[in-house]
Amino acid sequence: MQDPRIRIAAAAVLSLAAFMSLHGAAAVFLWWLVFTSLLQLAKRIRLVFSLILMIAFFSLVLELFGGGGLSYFTRMTVIVLIGMWIFSEQKSGEFLSIGVWLFGNRAGFELGMVAEMGMQSLISVTADLDRIRMAEKIKGMQWEVRNLVPAGLVLVHGALVRAEDTAELLAVRGYQYGGTMCPRFIIKPVDIVACMFAVGIFMFSLIPVSEFFILYR
Amino acid sequence: MGVPMTKITLNRVYAVRDHWSLSASGTFNEGVHLVSGDVGSGKSTLALMMAGLLPLSGGDIEREEVTTSMLSLQFPELHVTGLSVAEECESWGVAPDEILDAIGMTGKKEVSPLSLSRGELKRLHLACVLVKDYDLLLLDEPFSSLDCEEKVKLCAYIGKKSQGITVIFTHEQNILPRVKRIWEIVDGSLVDCGIPPDAFQNWHHVPPAIKKRIALGSTPDNISRDDFLEAECRTQG
Repeated sequence: MQDPRIRIAAAAVLSLAAFMSLHGAAAVFLWWLVFTSLLQLAKRIRLVFSLILMIAFFSLVLELFGGGGLSYFTRMTVIVLIGMWIFSEQKSGEFLSIGVWLFGNRAGFELGMVAEMGMQSLISVTADLDRIRMAEKIKGMQWEVRNLVPAGLVLVHGALVRAEDTAELLAVRGYQYGGTMCPRFIIKPVDIVACMFAVGIFMFSLIPVSEFFILYR
Repeated sequence: MGVPMTKITLNRVYAVRDHWSLSASGTFNEGVHLVSGDVGSGKSTLALMMAGLLPLSGGDIEREEVTTSMLSLQFPELHVTGLSVAEECESWGVAPDEILDAIGMTGKKEVSPLSLSRGELKRLHLACVLVKDYDLLLLDEPFSSLDCEEKVKLCAYIGKKSQGITVIFTHEQNILPRVKRIWEIVDGSLVDCGIPPDAFQNWHHVPPAIKKRIALGSTPDNISRDDFLEAECRTQG
């Protein structure tokens, strides 16, 4: 999807649909199969796998102690897939465009810029984490829980240093508040179709399907 | 029969990422090699591939007689696994007191490595890495964050290395060690410029100071400061 506004709106309604009901989650999964690129997911397969594993753990606990674990697992997994899709489609500068489009060149610019910095920080942390794991391999260390503390410290330290550098850079350049930007969006017909389907799925998720199928009950 | 030589051969190795690619072919024999290139040209990627830490998109790497290897990453903090400087030294398998005395950081044994300045951390990291001998030593931007004095010391150390393959990936232009071969990454490809001083003819990233010397008619034999000074003396008679 080229237009980030449509993409974010679609992701929001799809996440809600998947969260609200099992049949909604199934419909969202079908939407995900039809309208997103599986290649993008393949690039982040490790992250997806880790998240699904974490959800599986909590689902198991839920199933054992209160029930509903399977439903929770299915719904959350679909939400993760939608999250991964929006993360992989996101391009630098989009949050700034959306911020300015929504709230103008002052507050909107500021909000958009903060969101951009947040995304950049996330990308940097991910890259750092990959390098830390490589550095541990170099030292002949295994990826263990006890190594998480120094790795976490390095990640936090790196994020703080970068934040300080950015703040100094903005101050040096005389940045005070807001900016000027003319956001431009590319809208494709297929994106509108995908968004309409997403809204349709959201409405479908609100329907109590079990009321229509006696056998289901 | 002669003694088997340590070497690493890149056979049409390539890496591809979104809108960026890198291809490399060539053989790195024993001695010190310099790989130069612009920022973002793929020096770090090549170093990681040569270290076997990054999967190749294609091609293969042959390692002959390489039993021990080491890669020093550009940013020393990424190597940190100890909560104190002493722990960090121990994580490299070296005695803290010995190393810290050698680099003039005796009193910083209990300090967190992340509270050191980037320069201090780089010195500590390089000292821990260089204390051992490796068949393949890959140094990614070893001169970054070091002052001139430390760069000179590092060059002197590298220059003294008599065994194994040492590959320096850097865009440093002023203080460099004497090298056996020069390589560079141009337009996404690794190019073998050859042996200095002949390599200077093919080297796009030839340092300005060497360019100036060549223009004055006294080409240095190599790229170290000593070679440069020798060439300068030759010009001045």
